[in-house]
Amino acid sequence: MKVTEKNRHIYWNPYFGGFLLGLIVLFTFYTTGRGLGASGAMKSSVVAVVEQVAPSHAENNAYYSKFISEDKSPLNTWLIFEVIGMLIGGMISGGLSGRIGWRVQHSPKITKRRRLYFALGGGMLFGIGAQIGRGCTSGAALSGMSVLSVGGFLITITIFGTGYLAAYFFRKNWI
Amino acid sequence: MKTKKLIAPRYLFLSAILIILAGGLVLIPKFEKHEGISPELLLSNAISPERYISTDELADRYISRDPTILLIDVRDESSFNENTLPNSVNIPLNKLLDENFDAYLNQTAYDVILFSNDSFKANQAWILCNRLGYKNLHVLKGGINEWFSTIINPKEPTENMPKTAFELYSFRKAASMYFGVMYEDQLKIAVPKKTKTTPKLVIPIKKKKKIPTEGGC
Amino acid sequence: MGPLIPNGVIPYEWNNILAILIGIAFGFVLESSGFSSSRKLAGVFYGYDFAVLKVFFTAAVVASIGLYYMDYLGYISVGELYVQPTYLWGAIIGGAVMGVGFVAAGFCPGTAITSVAIGKIDAMVYIVGIMIGVFIFSEFYTLFQPLYEGSYLGNITVVDYFGVNPYIFIFCLTIVALLAFFFTDMIRKKVKKVFY
Repeated sequence: MKVTEKNRHIYWNPYFGGFLLGLIVLFTFYTTGRGLGASGAMKSSVVAVVEQVAPSHAENNAYYSKFISEDKSPLNTWLIFEVIGMLIGGMISGGLSGRIGWRVQHSPKITKRRRLYFALGGGMLFGIGAQIGRGCTSGAALSGMSVLSVGGFLITITIFGTGYLAAYFFRKNWI
Repeated sequence: MKTKKLIAPRYLFLSAILIILAGGLVLIPKFEKHEGISPELLLSNAISPERYISTDELADRYISRDPTILLIDVRDESSFNENTLPNSVNIPLNKLLDENFDAYLNQTAYDVILFSNDSFKANQAWILCNRLGYKNLHVLKGGINEWFSTIINPKEPTENMPKTAFELYSFRKAASMYFGVMYEDQLKIAVPKKTKTTPKLVIPIKKKKKIPTEGGC
Repeated sequence: MGPLIPNGVIPYEWNNILAILIGIAFGFVLESSGFSSSRKLAGVFYGYDFAVLKVFFTAAVVASIGLYYMDYLGYISVGELYVQPTYLWGAIIGGAVMGVGFVAAGFCPGTAITSVAIGKIDAMVYIVGIMIGVFIFSEFYTLFQPLYEGSYLGNITVVDYFGVNPYIFIFCLTIVALLAFFFTDMIRKKVKKVFY
């Protein structure tokens, strides 16, 4: 009983959430002609930070220089605004359901520290992977699949495929 | 709570809806997409009396300094330089689809009047523009030839013609004087050589920019 | 007529305003569907919660059906939409690296952002991790460049590449998604419940 008490996350029915998410993707394509995204905002932030700290280095690096233009800041991109909106939207939803609070979510079998190390490591891998694959689950996989892009299907399959392959090695973290 | 059912009925219902929607995509009749307007609309435009504008009507609108007319000469450049109607813009037929001329044709503020030597080339241009879905298109009936034979050199009606013919003649004569033709009996009054009162039409060419879609994660 | 902004129906200045509004909706739906919880997300790999797959597949199916209906009715032309370029090996290897990152951290960037919004510290660490990852990639870009720019196939969709009828493809996708929902539910009933 106590466990179920702790487990009272009232989330939407996944199909309902998926339906609404599909409508959002549809609306995004209808208005802007592009899909959603997330990791691009982090890339822009990194570019902006590097440009601030070491402008000449950013200029010389073949990758940063792609995203630096004279007339506008690398932060002035669609995805940055979208991510700001996502933060607001997440806060509204979390606030309405009383889920806001500082905490580290982890399996009771592992320590907080271990969880944070894995989060950092997983983030680094995802950051590199998202650059190699030019997109993350929302940008490449979800939006890509909606327009039937080959890359979208490919990335979806590989993300979830390797996820399942690697799941065994990380099982202690989750179950 | 613990049902033995494999799928809850509501999910069965929802998946049925999804399948029907997706199946609908497969089953809906496919057709070739038409660029521009449908043949039916083109036909109704073609037989509409609005299609042609007579030289008299044009002269009338000239004289009343109607600001909404936009004359487009679809002949080639050399004929345009030789003679044309006042305040007209030259868009040769073979350059009709040029992007630079898009702003002249693809707008709703002016009544576009296409003309050539006769109605022939202008009609071709009219059809093309209609296919592109442009609005307010007219063809000057008879073209420049008709313009000269009716407005600039109106034929004097003979005695046995009805009264309306005389009225038309006097209108045309007045109109031709407006366009600078001199008559023997009017010579005492100094008619200004050419009364080019309306300033040259300049339509700012606003290129309809199409921003390429961008994206990515 | 659509997409509206690239065709100039809505002025371009609206682009960023719409971005914020779309972001709010996106964040709200993700958070409400439970995507701010890494343990719920990771459930898809261990069979105790398939919410990711359900939300994700439902969204893709709904969006693609909707797009093709709108295309059919003339509200939008599918050909004008952004299709990300496909770099065959980049997508495969990038996807593989992302998959490992996903199962290690239990987040993907979009869900991590909503998780940050409700104050999860692990999500913040994860975002920092992504930034470090991007930094590493950029610093060693010359190393990754052949992979990043190689095997370019263009901005292709399955319609262009395999020549399949998009309508039939979407129909099959829908069936596959529904079957996936059905079987994952069967699996979930067999797997030991994990409370999180």
